[in-house]
Amino acid sequence: MKHELELKVQAWLDGELPDHEARRMGEWIARDSEAAALAAELGCVRQAMFGQEAAGTVGESREFYWSKIQGQIQREAGVRRTEGRPWAARWRKYMAPLAGVAALACVLVMAVMRSESPTFDEISSTGEGMEAVTFHDQSAQMTVVWLQDNSPVAAIQPAQKNIRFEDEPGTVIDLQ
Amino acid sequence: MVRMAQKGDLTSFEELVARHRDKIYARAYSMMRHEEEALDLSQDAWVKGWQRLGQFQGDSSFITWMTRIVINLCLDQLRKQKRQRAESIEAMEEDGGVERQMPADNPNPTAGLERVELRERIDRALAQLSHEHRTVLVLHEFEELEYKEIAARMKCSIGTVMSRLFYARRRMASLLAGLRREG
Repeated sequence: MKHELELKVQAWLDGELPDHEARRMGEWIARDSEAAALAAELGCVRQAMFGQEAAGTVGESREFYWSKIQGQIQREAGVRRTEGRPWAARWRKYMAPLAGVAALACVLVMAVMRSESPTFDEISSTGEGMEAVTFHDQSAQMTVVWLQDNSPVAAIQPAQKNIRFEDEPGTVIDLQ
Repeated sequence: MVRMAQKGDLTSFEELVARHRDKIYARAYSMMRHEEEALDLSQDAWVKGWQRLGQFQGDSSFITWMTRIVINLCLDQLRKQKRQRAESIEAMEEDGGVERQMPADNPNPTAGLERVELRERIDRALAQLSHEHRTVLVLHEFEELEYKEIAARMKCSIGTVMSRLFYARRRMASLLAGLRREG
């Protein structure tokens, strides 16, 4: 028997042929013993297998089996959350190294500034009727504060000058 | 319970897994014939099921829907394995092998067998088929898919499905007859 015919016998058995073709095939199988034997063999295998799938049982406990599923669900949910925020990935890729370089640069600049900064600082502030000028000499560990009273009353009287040496505890000298 | 799981309730999903895990594992095992692989694939199927739960419309039962997922995973795995394997022996089986020339002289190879014994013999015979022949048989006889549905899932033509199914059945008939003689 030709292979095409064998396949048609099977298709007839499986109900895959159109009605008119199935009728003709049925009539031919009834007349042809070889076709009938083939149909019987294929049909028996089909019938024997029906509902005979091996009953599989998972050998692992419910908790252990579930723990792997749960872990994978949570891992993949985490990956998806990150994938849903592309800025986060870009941040990690580009900005983190940049931030590190920037921080390093800041430290270097501060170190250079510290080494090059003058040892003498001057701060001046002016309040209503009073002017204060502060000098700080780091090398000498000395602070000098100059106070000048600019009030109208002071304008009549001679200006007062106060100088204090504050960095040495207990050493406060007022010069008037 | 499915509705609850669709709303994100993982506890309900765990209950669904507990109820149906044997069925999903059994289908994976039927196709793979390897316990570890079947276990891994069944668990992967549940993970996929959770991720795609929103797509489940209830057109079929939940277990039918899950079974389709595990079948697709098994088919993907079998394709990967096929690529990695020398296929010389299976190529011979694809052409029909011995069964191609064999006359149909096994009209009822399972006559007189008890149900449990029959199941065991079918299981042993299935284990001796090539992946392609076993898969097409499982999809047709257990999953009850039509030729065109099997072709779509196996990514092959309907003619190939018909041919594989034919040789798979003839080989099964031969194996079952042989097992009966041995028994």
